[in-house]
Amino acid sequence: MREYAGYLPCIGDEPIETRVLTFEKNGERVEVEVPLLTVEQLNKVVRKVKQASAQFLKSLSVTEIIDLLDRVMAQLLDRRHPYRQKAEQVLPIVTGYDEEMVRLGLTSYFKTFRKPQLQRFLVEDLENPLLLDDFQPRAKGGFSKAVGPDVIVHVWAGNVPALPLWSFISGLLVKSGMIGKVSSAEPLFAGWFARLLVEVEPKLADCLAVVWWKGGDVERERAVFGQADVVVGYGSNASLEEMQRRLPVTTRFLPFGHKVSFGLISRSCLDARKAWQAAHQAAFDIMRYDQQGCYSPHLFYVQTGGSVSPKEFARYVAHELNCFAKRFPRRPLSLEEMAAQASWRQREELGVLANKEKEVLGNEAGDWTVVYEPECRGFAASCLNRAVKIVAFDDISQVIAEIAPYRVFLQTAGVAASPKELFEWAEQLGKAGVTRITALGHMTSPEAGWHHDGRFNLRDLVQMVDIESAAEAYAEQFAPYVD
Amino acid sequence: MTQQEMIESLLQLINKETSTEEEFNEHALMLFAYQYENNVPYRTYCMQKGKTARTVKTWRDIPAVPINAFKELTLSCVPPEQAERVFMTSGTTKGVRGKHYHPALSVYDQSMIVNFQKRFMKEHNKIKMGILFPTEDELPNSSLAHYLALAVNVFGTEDSQYFVNRDGLDIDRLLAELEQAEQSGEPYALLGASFSFVHLFEELAKRGKTFRLPEGSRILDTGGFKNQSREMGLDEFYDTLSSFLGVPRRECINMYGMTELSTQFYDDGNGTVPSVKSGPHWIRTRVIHPLTGEEMPKGERGVLVHCDLGNFNSVTTILTEDMGVETDGGFLLLGRVQGAEAKGCSIAVEEFIRAAKGTSE
Repeated sequence: MREYAGYLPCIGDEPIETRVLTFEKNGERVEVEVPLLTVEQLNKVVRKVKQASAQFLKSLSVTEIIDLLDRVMAQLLDRRHPYRQKAEQVLPIVTGYDEEMVRLGLTSYFKTFRKPQLQRFLVEDLENPLLLDDFQPRAKGGFSKAVGPDVIVHVWAGNVPALPLWSFISGLLVKSGMIGKVSSAEPLFAGWFARLLVEVEPKLADCLAVVWWKGGDVERERAVFGQADVVVGYGSNASLEEMQRRLPVTTRFLPFGHKVSFGLISRSCLDARKAWQAAHQAAFDIMRYDQQGCYSPHLFYVQTGGSVSPKEFARYVAHELNCFAKRFPRRPLSLEEMAAQASWRQREELGVLANKEKEVLGNEAGDWTVVYEPECRGFAASCLNRAVKIVAFDDISQVIAEIAPYRVFLQTAGVAASPKELFEWAEQLGKAGVTRITALGHMTSPEAGWHHDGRFNLRDLVQMVDIESAAEAYAEQFAPYVD
Repeated sequence: MTQQEMIESLLQLINKETSTEEEFNEHALMLFAYQYENNVPYRTYCMQKGKTARTVKTWRDIPAVPINAFKELTLSCVPPEQAERVFMTSGTTKGVRGKHYHPALSVYDQSMIVNFQKRFMKEHNKIKMGILFPTEDELPNSSLAHYLALAVNVFGTEDSQYFVNRDGLDIDRLLAELEQAEQSGEPYALLGASFSFVHLFEELAKRGKTFRLPEGSRILDTGGFKNQSREMGLDEFYDTLSSFLGVPRRECINMYGMTELSTQFYDDGNGTVPSVKSGPHWIRTRVIHPLTGEEMPKGERGVLVHCDLGNFNSVTTILTEDMGVETDGGFLLLGRVQGAEAKGCSIAVEEFIRAAKGTSE
């Protein structure tokens, strides 16, 4: 099977070099042809996108853009639509994730970008979405308008299928020309989305580009970054630092580095009935995309003193993961990943010799691992791919002490607690650096309008233009109708 | 069986030409029974794996201990203070060093000597040696320092010399030595850590110097680069070695050893890389699937497990972090298993550890 990744505006007939990336899963093979533009071609693309979006995209009202996106989402949510079918068929091979997991994931993901959700998304960030269309009166006097950049360059990661949508759609909502660089790990979805958009509104044809180069390509990154107003980058801190080095100082950089997330379970949820439910939801968050997302939990802190002990809870989670392993099998791991998995697990097994209370649970095939730690002994990252620690704690202060040194890496906390505890814990978690608190079972599907890493999706992209009240009053005297 | 009896039986085995599967098995099971009995953390580890002297029927069933365990546990059948020598790993991560206790070095030494004669010296008995590594006095806990000391003491001529001290490579003395070796016409052997050779290359390149060592000269490198020098590809390494010193690649032997073992592996030169590595008849290697522990079919990549009868006091069978593939006559070493890089936005363990170091400093 051969697929063509990327999307290019019209830059003439010159031939475009391509590279073929090959993906294989359970004997199925997909060859993905990605466009590799020369620096000169990239320059043409940037110019074209800038020009076309200034002419067309900027002339659309935000309501029109939302309508467009809503129509694209309706198509993507329609399981008979050829693009949806293609996504369901090809993405599991490319990413390695289980077909059912991808299918369900796509549906719940696309649902967050329908009209009502996008409206909420806008209001969340801008209060008055009309700010993107016109000067709007300010309560303090004067008027303001939000102006999106001419061109945003996105450097996307490929860990979770279709993930580029967040930043792609954010950019469109602020009426910015879009250049996206896809990752070699999942180069397809962003290009499909661009093509669908253009099918729905052909006038968008030259406002978008989805390209590829090998991450860290100095020459190309310099060239493209140099012409961007904003660069949005996803990746490890090391690769983000590299990117930043290639940016002119006047270009705004919005880096989304790697993050760590975790769960927190209160004793109030640990009775025989509720504990099973919580364990099921915790296991769901672990299973989803094999913990590759920044919102995926690395560990769960479980409070002592409930009628189900943290150790029993760990066994519940193990059981649930075992069930999920059958329903949504883990993606095939490379030998390197398996070795990393094995070595993480062995280290934990050795730890059992030092502490008999500790427990390492897993099946023979190594599909998942649950480690039970009887006490807090330092926050640690999991080797991912369905490996998790369950750590017992008495008081929230222990957890806070443990996570506090890592504040720059913290993101989501999945919390199972009573309403009173939820707010008390949220207060402390927030102070420690956590930026998102959600229900267990929801860790991997953020709400529309969430504040990614504590930031504003849209507000960070735009710049505000103020007409101060003085200017307004001053102008009055120059009106032709002045008496 | 007492420790002494075991040592004697092992020395006998080592001195024989070969061992049958049966003999190997017998020795391995004997050592397992002894270690299960006397090495308490190991016994606990075996029990955790559901293995006892009764369920272990062949050497392949012996639970393999991950090399990390040498950092976390005291793996010794005698109290550690009774050890004649403790070899320690270099301790690159977190500064915790793995410890390998040797109550007596007779088995280690015999293992090294018999194997070294066969694989490196071949028909020669003595050769003039230059050692690119510190002496045993300087690094008493380094198994490599001891190994090289044995090489010099047993197989080196009187005038063999060390060229590395606490200040690093003594380049001027080494160059004078190489010059002399070149002129003497006598075969010369240069042995040391792979990274020391890289330092030598850098100096030679700077000075625009090359040598043509006499025929019969040979080189032994070991241990990889360990962040002590720049990383080099195998082909580049042996090409450079050969062009700077005039020793053909087939005479450049790589020794693969570990602090956690008492026996070394060698190749028969590095004309092509990766070269086939093999060990003597008292060590056996399996290539396993990292997650299930099952043996990989011949020709498929997996993780190496060594069963070394020389390890009479610690554990015979260790699970390495090295990737390899079984071939005719041995295995190909494909390098260390690197933590696979996370492709997305969830932090990977390696990155987290780096970051954690950054934040705690």
